[in-house]
Amino acid sequence: MTQGNIQFAQSESKIKKKKLKKQNKSLVISFVSVLMFLLLWEIASQNEWVNPLFVSSPIKIAQAAVVMIQEVSFWENMKVSGYEFVVGFALAIVIGIPIGVFSGWNTNFNAVVNPFISGLYVTPKVALLPVIVIVFGIGPVSKIVIVFLMAFFPIVMSAQKAMLTLDQNLIKAARTFNANEYQIFKTIALPSTVPFLLNGIRLGIGQGLIAVVVGELFASTAGIGYQLTSNGQNLQTDRMFVGILVITITGLILTLLLGVIEKRFSSWKPDIGS
Amino acid sequence: MAITESIQNVKLSTRFLNVTYVNNKTGAEVTALENINFDIKDGEFICIVGPSGCGKTTFLNTVVGLLKPSKGEILLDQKKIDGPGNDRAMVFQNPSLLPWKTVLDNVLYGVELQKLLSEDKKQEAKEFIEMVGLKGYENHYPHELSGGMQQRVNLARALTVNPSLLLLDEPFSALDAQTREFMQGELLRIWSETKKTSLFITHQIDEAVFLADRVFVFGARPGRVVDVINVTIPRPRDLHVKRSPEFINLVDHIWSIIEKESSKQGFVNK
Repeated sequence: MTQGNIQFAQSESKIKKKKLKKQNKSLVISFVSVLMFLLLWEIASQNEWVNPLFVSSPIKIAQAAVVMIQEVSFWENMKVSGYEFVVGFALAIVIGIPIGVFSGWNTNFNAVVNPFISGLYVTPKVALLPVIVIVFGIGPVSKIVIVFLMAFFPIVMSAQKAMLTLDQNLIKAARTFNANEYQIFKTIALPSTVPFLLNGIRLGIGQGLIAVVVGELFASTAGIGYQLTSNGQNLQTDRMFVGILVITITGLILTLLLGVIEKRFSSWKPDIGS
Repeated sequence: MAITESIQNVKLSTRFLNVTYVNNKTGAEVTALENINFDIKDGEFICIVGPSGCGKTTFLNTVVGLLKPSKGEILLDQKKIDGPGNDRAMVFQNPSLLPWKTVLDNVLYGVELQKLLSEDKKQEAKEFIEMVGLKGYENHYPHELSGGMQQRVNLARALTVNPSLLLLDEPFSALDAQTREFMQGELLRIWSETKKTSLFITHQIDEAVFLADRVFVFGARPGRVVDVINVTIPRPRDLHVKRSPEFINLVDHIWSIIEKESSKQGFVNK
């Protein structure tokens, strides 16, 4: 048996090595693909195949970035947008997860909240921006509200869905072992929601980032979206692209972090693709 | 089916047990079980067989306490069964393991729910894991195990709560034929080590005869006991027993009872 285990472990490490090799190859291809794109962009811009005023160029954007990161106002804008996103998103998680989980668990509570969730889910939240600005002003609070609203729904709905797809066999097994409702909730329902919740949070990140920018574009006195607007009014496309790049990189980093968390929480899951 | 056993020796007894339920679609009242009366002795291995729809699973769910009798009662160790309790544990057809818990934590799950988790129980759980043949797999997750191994965990979990009565609901029916035969042998070995009174439901007659001291044959609509067969094949039994004339005769005999029952119900066309 121990010998079998050793053999098993060896073949497992071989499979892992093969997978790593495959991953490395994909990484190289992706890198080359991005590089080619940037090169084509630069050439197209320098030869004026497209108007450089519209599309700027990778080199100009890089130069603008170097200038901008030395400006105090850039960091101020980053701070404001970051604050709006973090607070709005944290609220969406803190309020969204319990509401989603409890409405999936308790049919009466679900009957109370579901009309609002279903109704607001299909409402374009940006349509509420004029009202939000009237109520909360053009400062950060209105942006926090719109981030919350847009990130809330993917999170709450993923939690609900998780509760509706609970494995009834597990619940029956727990009941025969004399489990009470709280124990079933804690040992079966909650752990079952984790993969769904992480997925909802991932969707929420995308929605939240959209909300910050759209909110600031609509009405603001500071933030990345504010900077985009003012750069746009001066036709500084290179500086606008830096702003967009900052948002993209933020989104990428957040999804990457989420991937790390997901890995930690799902060590019990079969590897997909193996 | 007369009440013949002496009272000290009786583990489980059912008295005029009736279970009825209301059909959700038609609203009609259906009698799932009618006047079930029998006694099971301490340490006995009982198998229940019968055509589909004969109420085997309903009976087991009533014994474990998930369903309530509409009439009559079930006594376990002279105490009336009223809801699930720590004195019974069930092995399910579907392994029903928590995918995010390791083998060891899954085996301890029943004890955890009963709030009896302790270092001693942990040690016991490890012993049961060894008994079911999974030593070395304590820290594996269910998805890393085969179907047969998952059913071993399922069994170890039930044994670890140290039940007075072990209930098994077609635990091998989802396994391939080879694994099933092997697991039957394993179950007998474990049963002879633990001496747990066991109530085993199956639709496979040869499985019932191989495992049981007595086979209860259920009839359908309403579910009731139509016959009790004593299996006199000596123990310990190994898989060769299945080829003995005695074994084959018993299987044939039970099959003819079920066939007669089924044809009465119009299940078998002749």
